[in-house]
Amino acid sequence: MIIATPAASPLLDRVLDHAIMRMLVSLLIAGTLFAAILLLLGTNPLDAYAAIFRGSLGDSYGWSEILVKVVPFILCAIAAALPAQLGMINVGAEGQLQIGALTATMAALAFSGLAAPVLLPIVIVAGFLGGALWGGVAGALRSGPGLNEAISTLLLNYVALRIVDSFTHGLLKDPASFNWPFSPPFVDAARLPTFGDSRAHAGLLLALAAIGIVWLLLNRTRWGYEMRVVGGNPEAARRSGLRVGRYLLIGMLLGGGFAGLAGMIEVSAVNGRLQPGIGVGFGYVGFLASWLAGSRPFAIIPMATLLAIIAVGGEVLQISAKIPSSSVNVLMALILFAVLATRTLRLSGRLHRA
Amino acid sequence: MLDVLLASILTGAVRSGVSVLYATLGEIISERAGVVNLGVEGCMLMGACAGFVVEAITGNALLAIAAAAVAGGSLALIHAFLSITRGANQLASGLATMFFGLGLTGLLGAPYVKANITGLNTVSIPLLGDLPFVGPILFRHDLLTYLAMLLAPALWLMLTRTRWGLAIRAVGERPTVAFAAGLSPARVQYSAVIVGGMLAGLGGAQLSLAYTHTWVEGMTAGRGFIAVALVIFSMWDPLKALVGAGLFGGAVAFQFQLQSLGVPISPFILDMFPYVLTLLVLLVWGQTGKRAMPEGLKSVLAGGSQNPIAAGPVALRSATSAAE
Repeated sequence: MIIATPAASPLLDRVLDHAIMRMLVSLLIAGTLFAAILLLLGTNPLDAYAAIFRGSLGDSYGWSEILVKVVPFILCAIAAALPAQLGMINVGAEGQLQIGALTATMAALAFSGLAAPVLLPIVIVAGFLGGALWGGVAGALRSGPGLNEAISTLLLNYVALRIVDSFTHGLLKDPASFNWPFSPPFVDAARLPTFGDSRAHAGLLLALAAIGIVWLLLNRTRWGYEMRVVGGNPEAARRSGLRVGRYLLIGMLLGGGFAGLAGMIEVSAVNGRLQPGIGVGFGYVGFLASWLAGSRPFAIIPMATLLAIIAVGGEVLQISAKIPSSSVNVLMALILFAVLATRTLRLSGRLHRA
Repeated sequence: MLDVLLASILTGAVRSGVSVLYATLGEIISERAGVVNLGVEGCMLMGACAGFVVEAITGNALLAIAAAAVAGGSLALIHAFLSITRGANQLASGLATMFFGLGLTGLLGAPYVKANITGLNTVSIPLLGDLPFVGPILFRHDLLTYLAMLLAPALWLMLTRTRWGLAIRAVGERPTVAFAAGLSPARVQYSAVIVGGMLAGLGGAQLSLAYTHTWVEGMTAGRGFIAVALVIFSMWDPLKALVGAGLFGGAVAFQFQLQSLGVPISPFILDMFPYVLTLLVLLVWGQTGKRAMPEGLKSVLAGGSQNPIAAGPVALRSATSAAE
């Protein structure tokens, strides 16, 4: 939609024209608002920001934690970004991650006798397929009966969490876990290797490879081009003979698959077993990352990293300042608020696309 | 035996459905004005938390209910500002709003998690409450439940018979025409979104003050999203929302009954039932429902999600003149 607004300040607009400047302005706004909330809660915001900074970027442990957190954020962002090319809104990475973690666990336990070079690929594929299945449910509901995927994926998230709960309390419960809802631990051959003795792990390479693959798919293949045609104008795509419904389904299958891969990585590399609460919230953070990145694959990396810094810093804040971990959600939401509020901000009288 | 079972399921359906009914009614008002608010989940949490905290501090239930409405409305105001004034994508803004509500209530409510409250207790309506069968089902509830039952027909009257209702529908269907007719679409949308958020806040309050008497972070567990789905099922009609919320409440009550009867199904599987039922209901009746969709929403739910009013009077004026 073309919108004209009255003339005011072209200089500020030129500043806002740069994506990075716009992001910095948004961060500044969000940071100020968050500081105000901390003040109201009786916490010194300067101390809090210092704690966030020291805990995340201040030492090597913080750095390795950021590298651990950024992996699921990147993959869940892809889960939102791929369907977004088709004009779809996948808010279901949350549930797709859960199902991916579940199927990866099943594979890891079922084939635990195999050697790592065989077992790991099986577990990876199982995680991807699990996520794809869960994304595919929403995709099929959209391309068939036309059920809005934003609503269906949100509801399916809650279903997925309960499916995982029913397995960790039931079929997959480790008899040796003293009645805790844990699956048996993974054998070493089913665990993704870590870098040296840090917690950072090979999942990072998988996530970066996924970004590269998605970029190639979108920009260097006919299929990616057609995806964008469908996303741009589904009616025109339909008239030119593209089977739109099939693209919608495949988009959700692939997107869900990457979220499932995130789930596989969480159980295989980070936790070593399936238990309730693994990766909860990562899907929504991934959605935010994809949104901030404008669904562009390479822009996802810095955005996911930024959110990972906040998430790690927030954990430190929780320990040092006794502020509940939900403060992280507040800060992330404020950043998105600021980005949404400034995205269409124009002070001069030029025409622009909103 | 069977009628006792049925009565307790129906009573449970009313008790569990009320919070979703409030949220559904609120979302209907918002969407009739052309604004989808996925932040209802957050508005419910704000209401649940604010109501609980105020009740824990003051012990005054009416004050708690008022606080819940104000908290829900305030959060909705953020969504209104972003999607109406700033022209942000409604779904993204709604999700950010939900996230903010989830985080803020987790932060502010944390010290009160284990607090004890009196909350809202059951008030049996004289005479009606003593009726056989229907008495316990309909007339032995808390204040907010009675209010919700009255609210559905009242909002239907409001939408169909009052100037404000007419303005909301006009703006939701044809903002340019509404503007040409002298209405301020942005102002109408703001009022609808805020009232919608206040109602969701009341729904949250029913959950924390009457239904559970507790506050837990994220306790709405997707009821706000279920409300968004039930709006489609209700065809944006407050009266049909009674049916939708009743279905959801019935599903919750039914699975509780099965659990207490000791049915050998994992409680987690039973707990999925309300969500799956909501999806099935959408699947079966969603298409018929969509035909009643306010014109202004079609672009939002089709993935475009730009509010045509967002640009303000200038764009509307050019749009109206282009239409002429």
